[in-house]
Formats: sequence, structure tokens, C-alpha cells
Amino acid sequence: MIRLATDVGGTFTDLIGYDEREGRLYTAKVLTTTDDQSRGVMDAIARAGESQGLDPTEVRFFVHGGTTVINAITERKGVRTALLTTRGFRDVLAIGRGTRPDLYNLRAKTPDAFVPRHLRFEVSERLNAAGAVVEPLNEDDVRACAEACRAQGVETIGIVLLHSYANPAHEERCAQILRACLPNVTVCASHEISRQWREYERSNTVALNAYVQPIVQRYFANLERSLAGGRLAGPYYAMQSNGGIARFDQAARAPLTLIESGPAGGVAGAARIAQVLDEPDLIYLDVGGTTAKCSVIRGGQPSLAPDYKLEKTRTSPGYTVQVPVVDIVEVGAGGGSIAWLDAGNRLRVGPHSAGSNPGPACYGLGGTRPTVTDAKLVTGVIDPATFGEGRIALDREAARRAVATIADPLGMSVEEAASALIEVAEETMISALKLISIQRGHDPRDFALLVSGGAGPLLAAKLAREMSVRACIIPTQPGIFSAWGMLAARPRIDLRRMILAGIDDGLAERLPALFAELAKEAAAYFGVDDAETLVLTPLVEGRYRNQEHSVAFDCPPDSSPAEVLERFHAAHRKAFTFDLPGVAAELTTIHLQVEAPVETVPVPRSTDRSSAPPVPDRHRPLYLDGQGWADSPVYRREGLRPGQTVLGPALVEEATTTTLVLPGQICAMDPTGQMIIREEAAC
Amino acid sequence: MSTPPPAFEGTAELTAVTHEIIQGKLLSAVDEMAIVMARTSMSPVIYEVLDFACGLCRADGALVAQANGITLFTGTFSTQVRALMRRFGDDLAPGDMLVTNDPFSGGTHACDFALVRPIFFDGRVIAFAVNVAHWLDVGGAVPGSLPPDAGSVFQEGLRLPGIRIARGDVLIPEIVRIITENVRMPDLALGDLNAQVATLRVAEKRMLEIVGRYGLPVTQASIDRLLDDSEARARAAIAALPDGTYRATDVIDGDGATDAAIATQVAVTIRGDTMTVDYTGCPAARPGPINCSRGALESAVKTVFKALVAPHEPSNEGWFRPLTVVAEAGTLFTAEKPSPTGWYYEGSVHASELLWKAVAGLVPERMSAGSYTSLCVTYIAGEGGDGRPFVHIEPHHGGWGACRDRDGASGLIALTDGDTYNYSVEVIETKFPLLVRQYAYNTAGGTGAGRFRGGFGLVRDYEILSDTAQVHCGIGRTRTAPWGMEGGADGSCNGLDLLSPEGGRTALTRSPPRALNRADVVRIRTGGGGGWGPSAERDGAAIAADIADGFLTPDEALRLYGRTGPSDAAPEALHA
Repeated sequence: MIRLATDVGGTFTDLIGYDEREGRLYTAKVLTTTDDQSRGVMDAIARAGESQGLDPTEVRFFVHGGTTVINAITERKGVRTALLTTRGFRDVLAIGRGTRPDLYNLRAKTPDAFVPRHLRFEVSERLNAAGAVVEPLNEDDVRACAEACRAQGVETIGIVLLHSYANPAHEERCAQILRACLPNVTVCASHEISRQWREYERSNTVALNAYVQPIVQRYFANLERSLAGGRLAGPYYAMQSNGGIARFDQAARAPLTLIESGPAGGVAGAARIAQVLDEPDLIYLDVGGTTAKCSVIRGGQPSLAPDYKLEKTRTSPGYTVQVPVVDIVEVGAGGGSIAWLDAGNRLRVGPHSAGSNPGPACYGLGGTRPTVTDAKLVTGVIDPATFGEGRIALDREAARRAVATIADPLGMSVEEAASALIEVAEETMISALKLISIQRGHDPRDFALLVSGGAGPLLAAKLAREMSVRACIIPTQPGIFSAWGMLAARPRIDLRRMILAGIDDGLAERLPALFAELAKEAAAYFGVDDAETLVLTPLVEGRYRNQEHSVAFDCPPDSSPAEVLERFHAAHRKAFTFDLPGVAAELTTIHLQVEAPVETVPVPRSTDRSSAPPVPDRHRPLYLDGQGWADSPVYRREGLRPGQTVLGPALVEEATTTTLVLPGQICAMDPTGQMIIREEAAC
Repeated sequence: MSTPPPAFEGTAELTAVTHEIIQGKLLSAVDEMAIVMARTSMSPVIYEVLDFACGLCRADGALVAQANGITLFTGTFSTQVRALMRRFGDDLAPGDMLVTNDPFSGGTHACDFALVRPIFFDGRVIAFAVNVAHWLDVGGAVPGSLPPDAGSVFQEGLRLPGIRIARGDVLIPEIVRIITENVRMPDLALGDLNAQVATLRVAEKRMLEIVGRYGLPVTQASIDRLLDDSEARARAAIAALPDGTYRATDVIDGDGATDAAIATQVAVTIRGDTMTVDYTGCPAARPGPINCSRGALESAVKTVFKALVAPHEPSNEGWFRPLTVVAEAGTLFTAEKPSPTGWYYEGSVHASELLWKAVAGLVPERMSAGSYTSLCVTYIAGEGGDGRPFVHIEPHHGGWGACRDRDGASGLIALTDGDTYNYSVEVIETKFPLLVRQYAYNTAGGTGAGRFRGGFGLVRDYEILSDTAQVHCGIGRTRTAPWGMEGGADGSCNGLDLLSPEGGRTALTRSPPRALNRADVVRIRTGGGGGWGPSAERDGAAIAADIADGFLTPDEALRLYGRTGPSDAAPEALHA
């Protein structure tokens, strides 16, 4: 059988296929079709068919990651959406949390709501925090809202009522009435997407979900039709933001879970590599053209973010939503990031990027400002002759001219300036790597660093050294790793419930029943009779009484109260360096991660081994900071056999990228095809 | 890869790239402190309001890097650290931590506990790590320690003006006991104290990593360059403004002791690349607690100065070198012991706004018209159904003024705060015996009309579900509305109403605790911001949109703008 994944990015649509019978790999890269991404997907399948003989009828598993959801939101191209709220609270969506993170900006702004005020309707009803009815639902209000929505040409309606996470009855009834009155309008209620408290965040979640839902439904319908027409029978899965996959029909019910589909694919791939290499704790870094994204795998599992803030920047609070998204830190430094001098003549890199058009100066497409890629060309890490398999001819002189624009004012040589530029970009990535590791309570020395993306291997060895990680891994196919990762993802759902009770108030005794209820829900989602056939990971979130933020920790449901408490103290200590043993602690949330126990993409081990020193393909000059120019051996990755090691300084080239190995480092080829770089002194 | 990277030579020269990298590391160190603080604190005033700040100062006390969630601590660290340096001299050792919450030596009010840790390298102090945080209660006359009618600082809780609180990285039990015995919620105080200590440890670790890696001379050279570069950029920004003296006046509505109007004024002189902000002539310290001390005044001025010269750059002492603040001692902006200062931010915000108002016309690209100004903090306290005491402390968000090119922001936190979250209704109702009846734009209050209108304030109604509750509050701008700019109308006022089920209504301003009955409603209304430009020049489509969105009734539109949309010709009379 063939497993096939397509990952639609901003510029390119990547395809990767794996035929388990013969271990054969199919790859294709085509331009993304922005108006309807499914055309690009079909183009990629056709391309792989023409160039490599991919037969769609052999595909037994198809997974798709794309940017349909995030694009509709960032470009504000969702459908006309209305919101139904509890009376007195229609402005909650627009008020947001009222924060002003841009402290010294006296022209402060609040983010615009996705549903305008005249499409936010109120109904009389009220529940209290326990979920009890304080005021019954006025169904006439709901019908009046339906009429107003009809008159206004609304295409989709979100429903958010106070405390619906505790009792969804009023929301369910509203949805029932609206669906009956407006059969052609998409209706979704907040409790169907999130069972967490905080009315603004849940309002945003349901509003954004509604805003994109009809688009996603149409998109999946198109894609399914095209795939079936192309004799690719499925089943069809979508890559979700939680690192797992869902059937198209499941994903279309909660499309907001697709918001970080692409990056989550890479994280799923990192989790698979963690398993294959028996390196359960990994920091994963993907360096793209504009940004670098990093995430942590612990115990072989992706970590989820406590909350996801769409469009958050240093100056804007963005939009917080309550969907499970892998915890990703993103910074504005990538291969295309532009270097510049600020008003104080300080060297800065990013967040502006030359993108793919005009691209770095060396592309010769009109770019004149120096980028990280230009600096890597100037210092000899990239070879213009072999870059991108020779498809793009790189102009070394254009790169030098661009770097000279910062070298001259800084009083440096072009090579020194290029090195400085790279070092500043690396520092930005290091701050992101620290944020995702040290500031989450992890010691990077216990982790390996897995680096992907076209520009990642150019920088990986240095970042690994700076972070003092145990090892640095360059996976096979680093240029299309997100797509590969989608082949490694399993069907998954995350179920969360608010609980809020003291650990010693009889709560521990209730945990088995609470988790059993979630397991039942999971069984229904996956259509199995017995939840025990699924992979269940129970987590709880706890805090000291009066704290606001919770710490998540593993908790077997049958733990005694003393065990729960000890696990909580330990988790708090790990995350924040201290615990408060005498202070009362409470649990806020239970969380059941559920995966279907299916086989994912195999990673075969080669039995071929060699201890012979590898033979360089050639030598070329490489500029190293502090050492100047020297001839360095260049190896072809496909020429390296398991067991062989390369001593730095060296370059290892492959179709999509080049790996730099620094002096003092050893790069070893693993039996699974991954390259592993370690410090010589540590070997 | 356990081998550490080779260290740079300690005498190496500071290169541009090393400078950039050291600065990045200093900023991530203070950011890391802030993350730890927000995530471990037990006081909503810290984790939701973010009423705290973390930073690093040089060995001479100069502020090097700061992470602050609010503006109130802009530049308070240096004065505090220098006061402690004077007190302790050489009597400091590695692992020491000091505490001060004295409003009269660089501090703000007694609730703000500053923890300071000297960082040693090679046997001498090379830096100070600082964390200041607002503790929920430090004792005193009322829960929360801020009686709105306090007559002296002695009613505002425990003060520890420069005390050693830890030796050898261990808290001194006697000092901790003084704290726990003098505050109402010792668990919270201890939790927050531990959180602060944790952040100082983080700062020390990061600072020593930097010095270990780059050497002390290079690190110091980088910090010196940072301060000098900031100073040069601040001077250039001031030099670009026309020389002259710019004046503004405003009125503070009551001080807590009385509701009397308090007239204030400022004269801002720009000469070359320097700015002098002179509050001479402001009234003497007031009997009520809206006074601020000189440290808080300087912070208030620096806040607007920063907005003027470099709103997006990280704070450090260099930016403020071209700035001089002048004020006689003993005024309401320079109060001295034993003047009450509990509600100091209600006074200091007016010092900020005076400067803002004086220069708004000079730099319209950086400024907006007047805002609702007052944090309108409310305290609802009592016993919950479980018999445990509760205090619900909440600053309220309101309307900001219009800008020269767009309408003002609605429902945003006041200047004194910052990355401050409003309270989730669902969370409040889970924790406190309160039922929120509405949280909405205060459309009834209106905003300042203009070519661009002010943003709307908010209205929040609390129904009381307890038999023992009481409320006290500090609401400013209850009579003097936010100012409009360039012919824009003034905004609207803040207020708090107590509504009884029988139909009674009582208005509160800066009011001491008042008992509440079950089913009473506490309604907090915040005002709308001032407008910018004449209302006759407002775009008709914007008027129509405001009507469609229910911000304006057609009648109000006719009254304010003379039309309801683009189709009506603008009446000539409005131009007269």
C-alpha cells in the first residue's frame, strides 16, 4: 500500500508518498494554487505520477495539511457570520480582554471582532457557574434572531452562552431551533468546540470556527470529489493542530482545529523520529523562509499549548482561541530574513523577509538587501552550482554586494558581516529555543535537537552547540519534513473538561469516573465499542488555591489523593523552581488525549554498515568565523552509508539543503538514514 | 554536546554583533523573570492586572533592562536601588535579598513590594535584579490595604523600608513572620514572595551566564553603549520638536477625603535636545490618598516621555537622561511622609495626562485625545457561601480618546496599567458570590464627538449573592470629562451606582466601604474618550455605521452631527 501526504504551504505544495511494499519514496513540489488549494494538490499527484509513476489507485491512506483555515482568517475572507449570546453580553467578543500590551503607544487599538456588532444578537437565558438555570431560555428570542439573520443574509451562526461548558442544554436548544428555522445556514455552538471556561476566549473560538466552517466544508467536498475522480480512494484525513489527524467529515465539524495544520505535521514527524531513534525528548526546529518555529517532544509526545493566541504580537493581544494546538514558538528569522541597521547603527535581522519574490539577493530576481541565505552563500556554506539541484542559478556577486551594504557602515569585511548577520539570526532562534525549553522548565542538555526546513541544516550545528543539547538530528527529507510528518500522525482527539475542586475534597476519588466519561465520548468519536482499544493518555491540570494558571501533569485515574498531590508539587517545582507544600492545591481541568492505535509510516533500518572513512565528493572554500577561509570537504548525503562518520569542518549536500558540520563535531549516518551530529569531546 | 562553548576572552573588544547578542540575552532574562512571575503568582492583581515589573540594574543602580506589564513602574527601579545602596553600603553578600515597599524612597504605595538581589561576580556587585509586585493585602485599615479615605500612610499597611529578607539565598524566618502576622492573607503573601524570589534567582543565573561567556568588561561596555545610544536617540527626538514652553491644566475630581475639585497644571519646556516638565504651582499634598511621592511622579512623566521618544524600544535609564522633572516638595505629586499614598495612581495619572495634553498637538502622530483616565478600581469584599472571606479587586477598562486619523479605542485599560486583563465573568462567578448582569459598551454614556470620535467606555453590573458584602472604590473623572482635541468634543464621565431592588440609586466616587444587601446591584460605568477635530467633519458613512451598530440612535446622531449618514447634506450651520 502507498501512504500519501500533501502539505499546502504559502508558496509550494509538497507531496510525499511511501510504498510500504518496496520501501519506495515519491516526492513532488508544485506551486500552491491560492484560489482553490485542491487544484495544487491534484497537480502534485499528477506530477508524481508523470515523473515517478505514482499510481493513485494504490493509495490506501491519504492525509492532507493546508492553509485554507489560517488564510481565510488572516485575509479576513470568511463568510458572513452572526453570533448569538446571553442577554447583556453581545459585546464580550469585541471587548476582548481589554489589554494594552503596547504599553507606551498612546494611540492604542483593540483588535476588530470577526463578527460586527449589528450581527451579534442576544437571547434571554442564564445559567450559573454550577450550570443550574437561573433564567430559562426564551425561545422566541432565538426565533427572532433567526429571522434577523435571514434578513441580513447571514451564512453561518455561532452560539455562545455563559457557562455552557458546565451545561450545554441552552446552547443545544438554540442550535436546534436555528437549524430548523434556517436549514441552509451553518450553525455551531461553543460547547461543540470547547468545554473550557472564559467567555471571551470561547466566544472567539466559536465565532472563528463559524467564520471558516462553510469554506472548509466546501473545500473538503471539492477535494474529495477531485481525489475520487483521480481514482484515489482514501480514506481521507486532515492534519489537525494537535499533532493528530481526523477524517474530513470530523475535521469539518470543528475546522478551527486545522489552524496550524502544516507546522503540526512537522511536530508529528518529530514525535515519530523520537520513537524511531529512541530519543523520547526532542526539541524540534523548522527553519522556513520567513520564520523559524520550534516545539518540544517529551516522552515521545508533542506538547500542547495552554492557549493559542492567533495574531498575537508584542504590540497586539491577538485573538485567543480554545482549540488544542501543539505548543509552538515562532520567531521572525528564516532563510529569507533581511538584515538591516537600526537608528542606533545596530545590526538587526528580520522580521522582514525577502520571501520567494524577489527572494534573497543571490536569486537575481531584483532583491538587493542581504538575507541569511546570501550570507550562507558568501561564507561558502551554499554552493551556487548545486543549490536546489541547480534549478536556481545563484549569483554570488549579488550576494556579496548585498552584504556589503551592511559591512561598510559596520566597518567590517563582507565575510565578517555575513558571519555577524548569521550570528544575529541564530541568536533570535536561540531565544525561541530557550523559550520553548528552559522557560517551560526543561533542561536542553537532556534533549536532542531535530532540525528541518530548507535553511535549517545550514544553521543546525551551531544552534545545537549553543543550546548544549545532547545531539543534533538532521532527518531524511529535511526540506519536506512537515509532509513526511503527516504520514506519521495518528487519528487523535483531545477531550477536556473543567472541574475545579480541591485535590483533598474527594476529587481524586471521582477521577476514574470523570475519565471514564471522556473515554466513552472518545469511543463514540472513533466508532469503537470499547475505549480500551484506543491509546488513552490521561492528564490533569492543577494549581495552588488562588493561583490563576495551571500546570499540566500526567495522572493515572486511579491515583490516590496523596499521589495526585505529590505529582502536582513535582510538576510545579519543575516548571517554576519552587513548590508550596503546605498550601491547598486544586485541579481545574481533566484532559484525555486519545489516539487510534494504527500503524504509521515505517522507518526501515538498513543492515548495510560501513566503518570505512567516507570519500568526499570534492573540496571547496568555507569561511568560518574566527578562522577565515579554508578548504572544506563536501560529501553527498546519499553517498554516506550507515556507520560512516564525517569530521567537521565539513559540508554534507543533498537535493534540498546542505548540512554544515563545525570543527569539533562529528556527523554520523544512522541505520534509518538520519544524520546525527555530536560534539567530538562528548563522544 | 555537554562541552560548553569556548568562552570569549574577557578583554575582547565589544563588536557590533556581540553587543546585539548581549542585549538580546539581557532582554530575554527579564522576559523570563516576567513569565515566571505571571504564571506562579496567587494575586489576580499580579497575574491578570500584571501589576508587577522585573528588571536588571547596573552596579550604580542605572536601569538596564525591564519587563513590565504596566506603566506605573517606568523607571522606579533606579531610585529604589540607589536608596538601598545608600542604606546598605558594603554590607551585602552573595545570596542576600532586600525588600522595600516605602513610598517615600523611590517606591509607589505600600502594597508594592520590591525585592532586590545584588548579583556578585568575582567578589563584587556587578548588577541588581529587581522585582516589584503589588501584594493583594499588606494589612492596614481595610482588606486590600487601600482605604479610599485614608488620612495617613499608617492606615495603609505594613511598611518594610529597606530590610534584608534573605541571607545565603534563604528567607530570614523572623522577617517572614513579621509579614505573615501583619497581612490578612498570609498564604497569598508567601506565594507571591516565593514567586518574586524565584524570578530573582533566574535573573542572577542569566546575568552570570552572560558575564561568564563574554567577560565583565565586554558586558559592561555593551550596557554602557546601550544607555548612551538610547540617550542619543532620545535627544534627537526632542531636538526635532520646536523649542518653547507648552502648558496644560486639568482638574482632579476629589481626593477621597472630599469631593472638591483640585486644579493642576504643568509647563513643559523644550530647549534644544532637553525637556523640562515643571509642576510648580500644583496644590499641597491632599488629606486623601490620591497623592503620589516623587518616585511615582517621575515614573508618570517618564511614561509619557517614553511614548513621545521611543514607544517601542525597551526601557533603560539612557532614554530619560534628557528629561528633568521639577516640582516643589510636599505637593500632591511630591507627597512626603506621613501623607497617604494608597491610591497614588489616581493622582500620578493626572501628572502623566498633563504632559500628554501639553504636547499632544506637537506630536499628533504619537498621541490621542483624553481618555477615561481613572482605573476606577472597585473592591467587593465579604463572606462567600462557604464562610470563607473573599475580596474581588478589579480595575475597570474604559474609552480612549480619538486620534487624528481614527476613532478612539473602546474598553481599553487606562494609561497607568497596560497588559492588564479584564476579569472573566465565568471565572468571577465561580470564585465569588456575584452574578454579572451585563458587560457591554456604555453606549448610554456616549463619547466625545468629532471628525473622529472617542472610544466607548464599558458598563458592568454585579448582582450581590451574599448577605455580608461591602464595596469601596476609587472612581476618578466623575465630573471632569476627558478632553477633546482640535475642536473635538469632550468625552463622558465615569461613575458607580448602587442600585437596590426597590429602585434606590446611590452614586459613589472615591468612597470608603459601604454595606451591600443581597440582590443589590453594583453598576460600574466608565466614560468615553474625547473626540478629535470638529464633529461637522465626520464621515457620513461612519455615522451611519455607528447607527447600524447601535452605538448611536438616529436622534443622537442628529444632535451631535446634524445628520444620520452620507446622504444628508452637512448643514451649513454646523460650520459656523
